[in-house]
Amino acid sequence: MTQSGGPASPSSQRWMKLAVVGSAGLVIAGGLAFYYASKGNRPDASADNIVVTIKDGTCTPNAITVPAGRSTFTIVNSSDRALEWEILDGVMVVEERENIVPGFSQTLQAKLKAGDYEITCGLLNSPRGTLHVTPSAEADAEAAKPALMAYLGPLAEFQVFLAMQANALVKGVQALDEAIKAGDIEKAREAYQKARAPYKQIEPMADLFADLHNAIDPVADYLEKREEDPGFTGFHRIEYGLYSANNLDGLAPVSARLLADVTALKDRLRGLRIPPEQIAKGAARLLSATAETTIIVGEEHYAKTDLADIEANLAGVSRMMALLKPVATPAAPQVVADIDSRMADADSALKALRGPDGYPPFDSVDAESRKSFAQRVQALAQAIGKLNAAVGLE
Amino acid sequence: MKLRITLASSLFALAAAAVPATAEVSPLDLVQPIADYKIYVSENSEKLVTDTKAFTDAVKAGDLDKAKSLFGSTRMSYEAIEPIAELFSDLDGSIDSRADDHEKAEKDPEFTGFHRIEYGLFAENSTKDLEPFADKLMADVTELNKRITELTLPPEKVVGGAAVLMEEVAATKISGEEDRYSHTDLWDFKANFDGSRKIFDLVRPLIEKDDNAFVAKVSGNFDAVDATLSKYKTADGYQLYDKLTDDDRAVLAAKVNTLAEDLSTLRGKLGLN
Repeated sequence: MTQSGGPASPSSQRWMKLAVVGSAGLVIAGGLAFYYASKGNRPDASADNIVVTIKDGTCTPNAITVPAGRSTFTIVNSSDRALEWEILDGVMVVEERENIVPGFSQTLQAKLKAGDYEITCGLLNSPRGTLHVTPSAEADAEAAKPALMAYLGPLAEFQVFLAMQANALVKGVQALDEAIKAGDIEKAREAYQKARAPYKQIEPMADLFADLHNAIDPVADYLEKREEDPGFTGFHRIEYGLYSANNLDGLAPVSARLLADVTALKDRLRGLRIPPEQIAKGAARLLSATAETTIIVGEEHYAKTDLADIEANLAGVSRMMALLKPVATPAAPQVVADIDSRMADADSALKALRGPDGYPPFDSVDAESRKSFAQRVQALAQAIGKLNAAVGLE
Repeated sequence: MKLRITLASSLFALAAAAVPATAEVSPLDLVQPIADYKIYVSENSEKLVTDTKAFTDAVKAGDLDKAKSLFGSTRMSYEAIEPIAELFSDLDGSIDSRADDHEKAEKDPEFTGFHRIEYGLFAENSTKDLEPFADKLMADVTELNKRITELTLPPEKVVGGAAVLMEEVAATKISGEEDRYSHTDLWDFKANFDGSRKIFDLVRPLIEKDDNAFVAKVSGNFDAVDATLSKYKTADGYQLYDKLTDDDRAVLAAKVNTLAEDLSTLRGKLGLN
């Protein structure tokens, strides 16, 4: 950071010696600088340092072009009041320096992507200058294979999403448990359906908590003694009581255990290290299983609320893809566009199954409709399955 | 003095740039701290909406005393999350700009937000004609809350925010410029301080194992600033800033500066430069 009025420091004395030794070179450099200055050129796009002088609410130069990647700007305040300088992308501040005192300068480093930005030049209503960032080979290469650090923001936001869903899940199961304990079957049925959605939104990550998943969401079909199996626990055991046996007999310990399991899941999700490739991998795997099994034979055998489950699955996947999109788009625009359009297909196929009173019971959806919906979901799974390789995560 | 502090903090930033990343911190280690910070920011922006509603209701009801008494505390949730809130340049301008950011200062029609209302309440001692500014502020904080929900936080702005908060206090806010009509600056400082400490506490475990001395030093400096701020605590908030002597301010500035100096190395230590 340079301060044009700063006191001489030991290092600046050393620079003086160097300056004497290298004075011949400096003369040449100075001549070049004078040449550019006298031509009134804008700072060269390849220059290491772009000097922007602000005076009377105007930036000089007022239109700057730099290549994508790191650039250094030195802001000289030639006005009579302290000011801040910002690089804006729309309304968003990309970089800023505050409190540049009159007569002084500050230096700012910015790592910029190709595109058009604005720069501020004094007061809030002073006309802004433009900053045009052109593509560069270096930045293109970096965008084509994003580094792990590029996923940090999306992964953090995904953690927030998981935490919010897990909170909703625990709350939902608490309500279910209370209704069962209170002996209110109608309330329990309502609570059951409400608690399913957050679980289904988290489900694409189920591979990361397989033990809990097996206790929370097993389906009788895969258990030796089906509904009579001691391993038949969790949501579907409760569903069986609520919608098949039509009573609450024996459900209290099941819902208590479910509450303990989803609470454990909430704790487990916190601090879970999710590598970026797990997002597309988990989403593709779940959707593929949904297309091959859930949509064909169903999972909510007693409540018949499968379509609501699948809607929640798709919502979770959609959120995951939206989070990856800013990183994935520059690297693999075609794959991202394909995912977008397959997602829209699957959504509209699901919406087409909705009746005036919401989703119909799943057993009323005929085999033909199921098959066609399953194909859309499988196509989405395949599109998502191509993402990791396309962004260099495999 | 203001100048000297600016110079000092710039030199610190220079020193910070020269420090290489020390610890081997994987980006994956930073996911949970950033996620936790997003939740902290969201909670504060929700509180800002709730508090601003009560504040602007008082302004619109013409309840001068109540509006004045709510001004300092209402701003705190904004000040605590300033590194994120100020990323939205349009809203930061309309919510938190000072009169000097505008050509015609207090008389400029674009001078809106907290400080315009503060000017009415404390300088003109009236709620007269403040209603449109109250409505605009309420709409702006509601929009801010919505945008924050949708924002993927830029990690380097989160970690860098710890130092930025303290640098701004040391460089400009220490002069009392921010709340110049109400002199509630210490409320802002406390919120800036809390916001900075929150960030530090979230990344602290990642640095502790490799650089325990740094963590102990920064932690001690946070405690020192906290102790200084606590001296000015009153039953219902903080002492008015114009009651502090130049010496009081100098002591506070020196401590905040030390803290800012150390915090400016955080980004580098976590591989986020």
